[in-house]
Amino acid sequence: MEPADGILQFFQELGRREHEPLLAKVTGSVRFDLVEGGRTDRWLVAVHKGGIVVSHQGGTADCVIRTDRVLFERLCRGEENAMAAVLRGALVCSGDVELLFAIQRIFPGPARERRPLSSVGGS
Amino acid sequence: MTENQVKILQGNTFVVSDERGDIEASRTDPTGLFSFDTRFLSKWVLTVNGERLTPLSVDDLHYFEARFFLVPGTGTVYVDAKLSVIRQRSVGNGFHEELTVLNHNDQPVELVVRMEADCDFADLFEVKDALKKKGSYSKQLNDGKLMLAYERETFSRSTAISSSQPCVLDEHGLTFEIKLGPHGTWKTGLDVVTGVLGTSDGGDEGPTLAWQARRPRTNMTRNLAQWLDEAPRLECDWEPLRTTYRRSLVDLAALRFSPISAGRHSLPAAGLPWFMTMFGRDSIFTSLQALPFNQELAATTLRELGLRQGTRIDDFRDEDPGRILHEMRYGEMTAFEERPHSPYYGCADATPLYVVLLDEYERWTGDTKLVRELEFEARAALNWIDEYANLQGNGYVAYQRRNEETGLENQCWKDSWDSISYHDGTLPGFPRATCELQGYAYDAKMRGARLARLVWRDSAFADTLEQQAADLKRRFNRDFWVEDGEYFAITLDADGRRVDSLTSNNGHLLWSGIIDKSKAKAVVRQLMGERLFSGWGVRTLAVGEGRYNPIGYHVGTIWPFDNSFIAWGLRRYGFKEEAARVAAGILEAAEFFDGRLPEAFGGYPRSMTKYPVQYPTACSPQAWSTGAPLLLLSTMLGLEPLGDHLLVDPALPSTIGHLEVLDIPGRWGRVDAFARGRVDTSPPNRRGQAR
Repeated sequence: MEPADGILQFFQELGRREHEPLLAKVTGSVRFDLVEGGRTDRWLVAVHKGGIVVSHQGGTADCVIRTDRVLFERLCRGEENAMAAVLRGALVCSGDVELLFAIQRIFPGPARERRPLSSVGGS
Repeated sequence: MTENQVKILQGNTFVVSDERGDIEASRTDPTGLFSFDTRFLSKWVLTVNGERLTPLSVDDLHYFEARFFLVPGTGTVYVDAKLSVIRQRSVGNGFHEELTVLNHNDQPVELVVRMEADCDFADLFEVKDALKKKGSYSKQLNDGKLMLAYERETFSRSTAISSSQPCVLDEHGLTFEIKLGPHGTWKTGLDVVTGVLGTSDGGDEGPTLAWQARRPRTNMTRNLAQWLDEAPRLECDWEPLRTTYRRSLVDLAALRFSPISAGRHSLPAAGLPWFMTMFGRDSIFTSLQALPFNQELAATTLRELGLRQGTRIDDFRDEDPGRILHEMRYGEMTAFEERPHSPYYGCADATPLYVVLLDEYERWTGDTKLVRELEFEARAALNWIDEYANLQGNGYVAYQRRNEETGLENQCWKDSWDSISYHDGTLPGFPRATCELQGYAYDAKMRGARLARLVWRDSAFADTLEQQAADLKRRFNRDFWVEDGEYFAITLDADGRRVDSLTSNNGHLLWSGIIDKSKAKAVVRQLMGERLFSGWGVRTLAVGEGRYNPIGYHVGTIWPFDNSFIAWGLRRYGFKEEAARVAAGILEAAEFFDGRLPEAFGGYPRSMTKYPVQYPTACSPQAWSTGAPLLLLSTMLGLEPLGDHLLVDPALPSTIGHLEVLDIPGRWGRVDAFARGRVDTSPPNRRGQAR
C-alpha cells in the first residue's frame, strides 16, 4: 500500500474517532473485503456502542462487505452512494443487513456544488 | 382494460395478468411479474394445440393467490367445452402456477400445451416513462430450467422457469406433449423464480443480501387468518360498516411490506401494486390510523425509517441529516443513480410526523423501550426542523428541492404541480412553507417534550421544545391567519406573504393543535361550510377558489385519508358532532365502493350526484385510504389513551345504530368499546326526519 492511499487514510481517520454518534446504538463487526486484481485487502471494523476499533486484517465478522478498491476509494471521497452500489451489485453484502445500513453512515456525503438553501433566506 | 386485470401480490412481488392468466406486456404496459421494482416476466402466454384460451371465471382466492378457469379457443359465441384448463397461481419468490388440463370427453386426446415466456427486465420507472434499456439480455437452457437474464455492469437480474413434469424447453418457452385418457386429468407445477443480485447463498460468511431478499411462499393463508384473528372484533347494526371494516383489515394485510432489514416484521407500504415500498409519509400516516387496531406496523415503521434516516447533505437525494425518507426503490435506474430513490428524501412532513408517531405509539402501547431505542433518531428529526427546514429564514418549515431534475417539486402531501395556489389561481414561488407543516412541527415539539421528560429524562430539552412550540404557535396564528376569511392560509410564499386560498389543510391544523382556541370555531365553520364540505367529506380546495375543480387531483376532490385526520382534529378541539358528520359522510361513501375507499373521489355536492364519483387512480387499495375507516372508528368512539387506561367518549352518527369494538389492544391489555348512535348527521335542511 502506498502512503498516499485514500483507503488507508479513511480507515486511520475512522480508527481515531473515539466515539461515532451515528453508530451509538451499534454493536457488531463489519469486514470490508477490497478486491484488486487477484488480491483482497481486508479491514475489520469492530463497533461497540459507537466506539470503533479498526484493524487491517481478516477474521470473522457479523457483516462482510465486498467491493473493488476503486469503488471503495470513491465511497471514501463521497463520490459514490453505498446503497445505490448495493442495488447495482457493485457492493456485495453478506450477514447482518442492519449493520450494512448502519455502517454506510461513516462515508462522507458528496461535495456540495452550491451553498445550502438555508443560508439564503431573508429576515 | 385495467378493469379486467387480475393482480396478486406478496410484499413487493406482484403479478398483473389478464383474465386468462396471460401476460403480454409491451414496454409501457404495466402487466407482468414484478419484484423489487423490476419486471421479471413480460410474457407468459398459454396455448393448447396452438390456440389461446377463453376465460370462464376468475377466483380471487386471496390477495396472494388466484385461480383461472379456462377453455380452449377464442370463439366467444359458442364454447365446445370438451376440455378445460385451470391455472392456480400464488406469489412467493416469483410465483408458482399449478396448471391442470381436464379431458371431459370419453375418448382419449393428445394435446400440445405450450407456455411462451419472455422478459424485458424493465424498471418500474421505465414502464412509467417508456425508457430504453442499457444492458444486455441472455437466455440459457440448463438443468431443466429456462434462465432469462439481464446484465448491466455488476447489475444482474434473472428469472428461472421450470416445470415439475417433463417438457421440451426452448429459448421462448416450455412445450408439453401430453396424452389424456377418457375423462383424464394432467397436472404440472410451474415455478418462476426471481433472482436479485445473483443467487449465491453466501456460504460461510452468512447469507447474502440476495438470499435474504427471497420471499418464500409459506403459510400465507394461516398468516392472513392469524392477522384477522388478532384484530379487534367489530359488531354493528349497520352492515356496510362491518363490510368496510373487514375490507380494511384484509387490504391492510395485503399492504404489509417487509424490508430486508425487518426480518419477519412489516410496515404499511403506500399502495397496491405500484407503491409497494416504504414511503415516509404514507407509512407514518397509515400507522397512525391503524394504531388502535394494530401496533406492530407503527413499531416497524419507526424502526425501519429510523435505520434509513438521513445522515449527510446530498443534493441529488435531497437528503439532510435527520431527515426521514420519502421513498425507497430497488430498480435499475435507482441503482445507476438515474433516479434518486436509494432512498429519496424530498418530503417535508415525514420528519416531524416521525416524532408524532413515536409519541402516539407510546401513548397506546407504553413501549418506552422503543422510545429509548429511538432517542437519537427522534432528536435528529427534531433538530432537522430548526436546522435544515428553515429555508425562508423565518423559523417556519419550508421546502424547495435541490435535485431540480428528478426531485419532487411539492414536498407536502398535496404533491401535484398545481395543488398550492393563491385565491386567484396563480402559483407561488419556492421555497413554500405550507401551513400543515407548521402544525406537524408544533405537534412534534410538544410530543418530543413529553417523551424527553417521560423517557429520556431531559427536562431542559423538554423546556426548550415547549418554548419553541409556544413561540411557533404564537407566530403562526399571527402570520398565517387570513383575517377577512377567518381561516389559515395554505402557505407563505417565498416573500413571506400569505397564499390565501381556503383548503382542507385547516383540518390538519386542528389535528396538530397549533390553532388558538379563539380561532378554532371560525376554522370549523369553514371546514363544515358549503364551500369545503360536500356532504360526503371535506374538499381539498374550496368551491370558489381560482383552481377549484371537483375532479382536480388536489384542487377539489375529497380524500378519505385527509378527512380521517380532519375528523380527529375536530375531536381534538371538542367538535364531536362535526367529527361524526365527516365520519358519516366518508363511511357512507365507502358503501358505494364495497368498503374499499379510493384514494380520492369527486368534490361534487352530495345533493347533486347522489353517489361519490371515483377519481381514477392506478393504485387500489391505497394504504391511507384503507386506514381511513379505522381512524374514523376510533374518532367516533372517542378512543383516547390516558395513562394505563383507554377513555371511550363516543359521538356516533345515529345511522350507525349500535357499535361495539371488542379487544382493543394497548398498554391496558385488551378492552372493549361500546356506543350507540345519537348524532343526527343528515343535512341541516333534513334534520328531524327519522331514517
